[in-house]
Amino acid sequence: MDAIRTEQLTKKYDLGWRKGKLLALEKLNLRVREGEVYGLLGPNGSGKSTTLKLVLDLVVPTEGSAWIFDVPCSKVVSRLHVGFLPENPYFYRYLTGAETLEFYGKLCGMRGATLKKRIEELLDLVGLTRARHRRLAGYSKGMLQRIGLAQALIHDPKLLLLDEPTAGVDPIGSKDIRDLILRLKGMGKTVLLSSHLLAQVQDICDRIGVLNRGQMILEGDVQTLISDQRRLSITVQDLPEAARARVEEAVRATGASIVSVGHPQTTLEALFLEALRKDQRREGEHD
Amino acid sequence: MTESAIAAPSMSRERVGFSAHRVSVIAVNTLTEAVRQKVFILFLLIGLVFIALAVFFAQFTFGEQMKFIKDTCLGVISVITTLIAIVGTAQLLPSEVENRTIYTILAKPVRRFEFLLGKFCGSLLLLLLSMAAMCILFAAVLWIKEQGMIRELSQSYVGESPAAHVEAQKQIEQIQTEVLDVELVKALVADLAKATLIASVTLLVSTFSTSLVFNVVVPFMVYVVGMLRGTAAEMWGAHRLFMAVLAVFPDFGLFSIADEINLGKVVPWGHIGQIVTYGVARTLVIVVAAHLVFSRREI
Amino acid sequence: MKLLVVIVLFGIGFALLPLENALRTERLQMKYGGAHVTFQLREAIGQNLAIALLAGMRGIVADFLWIQGHGFWEKREWLRQYRNIEVAVTLQPQSIMFWDLGQWHMAWNIGYGAFSDPKNRTKAEAIKREREWHEKARQFILRGIENIPNRYELYFTMGWLYFEKLSKDCDDPPCSEAFCKSADYLAMATSYPDAPQFVPRLYARALEKCGDLKAAYEEWKRLWRLDHSTTEQAWSIIEREIRRLEDYLQIPNQQRVFPQPTP
Ligand SMILES: Nc1ncnc2c1ncn2[C@@H]1O[C@H](COP(=O)(O)OP(=O)(O)OP(=O)(O)O)[C@@H](O)[C@H]1O
Ligand SMILES: [Mg+2]
Repeated sequence: MDAIRTEQLTKKYDLGWRKGKLLALEKLNLRVREGEVYGLLGPNGSGKSTTLKLVLDLVVPTEGSAWIFDVPCSKVVSRLHVGFLPENPYFYRYLTGAETLEFYGKLCGMRGATLKKRIEELLDLVGLTRARHRRLAGYSKGMLQRIGLAQALIHDPKLLLLDEPTAGVDPIGSKDIRDLILRLKGMGKTVLLSSHLLAQVQDICDRIGVLNRGQMILEGDVQTLISDQRRLSITVQDLPEAARARVEEAVRATGASIVSVGHPQTTLEALFLEALRKDQRREGEHD
Repeated sequence: MTESAIAAPSMSRERVGFSAHRVSVIAVNTLTEAVRQKVFILFLLIGLVFIALAVFFAQFTFGEQMKFIKDTCLGVISVITTLIAIVGTAQLLPSEVENRTIYTILAKPVRRFEFLLGKFCGSLLLLLLSMAAMCILFAAVLWIKEQGMIRELSQSYVGESPAAHVEAQKQIEQIQTEVLDVELVKALVADLAKATLIASVTLLVSTFSTSLVFNVVVPFMVYVVGMLRGTAAEMWGAHRLFMAVLAVFPDFGLFSIADEINLGKVVPWGHIGQIVTYGVARTLVIVVAAHLVFSRREI
Repeated sequence: MKLLVVIVLFGIGFALLPLENALRTERLQMKYGGAHVTFQLREAIGQNLAIALLAGMRGIVADFLWIQGHGFWEKREWLRQYRNIEVAVTLQPQSIMFWDLGQWHMAWNIGYGAFSDPKNRTKAEAIKREREWHEKARQFILRGIENIPNRYELYFTMGWLYFEKLSKDCDDPPCSEAFCKSADYLAMATSYPDAPQFVPRLYARALEKCGDLKAAYEEWKRLWRLDHSTTEQAWSIIEREIRRLEDYLQIPNQQRVFPQPTP
């Protein structure tokens, strides 16, 4: 069973009278397996947030459909085990941190001592224990992001949808969040996150998909993607100098050339840019 | 960050039915928002107006003063509840969308209808609360007036015969019954029904428009047309087609009974019951219509 | 979608028409509201008040005009006050207070104002003008009674006007005719159980001034026979009047309520 599955998922936004439509997402077939961390990458406006909103039924697909744990997304039940952190989250400014979590907890049907305990845990988890009685109007961007994360986790969901979870958070906070995601993964949770901070994604994602102008242009296992198929690196331990010469000779004898001896990996960033360069569809195709 | 923090109890129900609890959570939250904003300064000002009335009308006879105070207070209450119903409801949905708070709520297992109803109920709670606040002020003004009257009356009877004192006592009793007129409750009930209806109209408008001005102006116009419907019916009653078009608008004139009650006329509870039935029926339909629009809406 | 919504709204609007009409009929039957907002009325009260009126604040508009009229009175602009009173009762013909205080302003204040107006050339003119206002007040109450025929108040008001003012407007006293009229209206007022105790007392006095002393005596006796423990009355006044009339009418001692102690 996939945590998330979409089939031919398409979204055209209505831009209003006589302004036509904007194709934000085109025939997306996405599969997020249970237990993995999936990174949805892409430049601004490529349809990352749209995908998440479609999965949460916040916007209605123009075509195609989506499922969460095999439940159609149009059903309320599908959101029972989902936690969502929107991009640049805003909450009720007049509520305190603790009140905010209480509100979302109650919406999830939690109450009483269980809820109280959970709120304490989560405030501690995201490091907002000291700011718990302050109104969100006075929270910084990073603090809002943290309370957003806590809110998404309140009912201990099996699946987390995080839209740019580290945006606006300082490097240390960002590291904390990434550690948290890894720990959630360790607990068997599934995470779908969107980002354009590639270096960060590289460390935590099992698989990534790259969206550009609403189309998936690249998808796969991170480790496979970032290894260069034409090149092969053999990592050898304790190879004597003489043996090395013989290996090199043997390689040359096959007609192959030795480019370097070192780390053959490319960075995810380079891969990302390359993928964009190859995707040479023109602007007009969008309308 | 402790390990146990993440291992929280998981929800096991695999069915999400309509939940009145979620509606109430959203309603209370909506009320909290309104209360923590600056609405209550408005009430303070209204309170001052009320109290000024008691002083302002002092030169008139008791009967005149009572009529003036009751007319004005009920008028003020009616206007303010209508305003709160419109302005308080108009920004509920747009501000949720604008602040994107709606994303996090609807991403939870919350039905859109629950959300809509919760917002609406929150608006009604605010109406009730503000009405209660104004009624308390109203009652206070009446009480101050009553005490003043009684004091004046007893002073004018000092040193009179026992028979005159009996007379004075009767007059005091009459003042007390007139001041503490339970009939006024009927006017407030009708008022609340009217405010609920206009709030639902505003809710409906705000499900398809995000412009605050539009969301305020349109319900206000519906109110005006609804107010004039009765007059229109009397004047051009014969014109069928015209009346047919007007039938969409609730007849808000039917809710005006405060004047009659202040005139000491009989307004049977049956009549109030019919008014409330009418208001509630209209409101229900409009809320359902609002749901139809909102459930398909992109946010 | 939106079309469907519109259709539903229309549909229910029609479905609720019977209830709406029932409510409207009931309002008419119970004489709710008052004069329609006609062009003349709009002229009389001005734009702003007309809007307030259409907004359903009939009472407040009437009150405003009334208070404004009070201001005119203080400036001795009686005609303007009179006009405001007229509009107020047009707006709220169900207001006992407006009819009652309106006639009081006419018969007492405006009447006296007209009488004492320095522009009067002769005493006769002054008297004539005052009487005109008394007559206006009488006509005014008649209209009030037409609107509110089922309450004691305006009958009492009319009785009081005859008793106090119209009785003085005849040239050859004792002018018992006006008191007889007064008694007629006070009889009406007395017949309402919620009429306060001073109503039948005035009725008895009006009967006496009308010349029907026997009837006056009977009325006092009727009052005296009311249950003393449950009804509140100025018993001492009633006793005094009965004693006086018994003496005056020379009622035989054994028929008296208060027999004379045999000497
Ligand atoms: N409500 C909307 N109405 C019209 N167009 C929209 C709406 N929401 C998004 N779009 C458009 O759809 C496209 C995809 O937007 P989306 O928010 O999914 O991008 P994104 O990948 O999340 O970008 P970013 O990295 O900036 O968050 C954009 O061109 C955007 O302008
Ligand atoms: Mg985005």
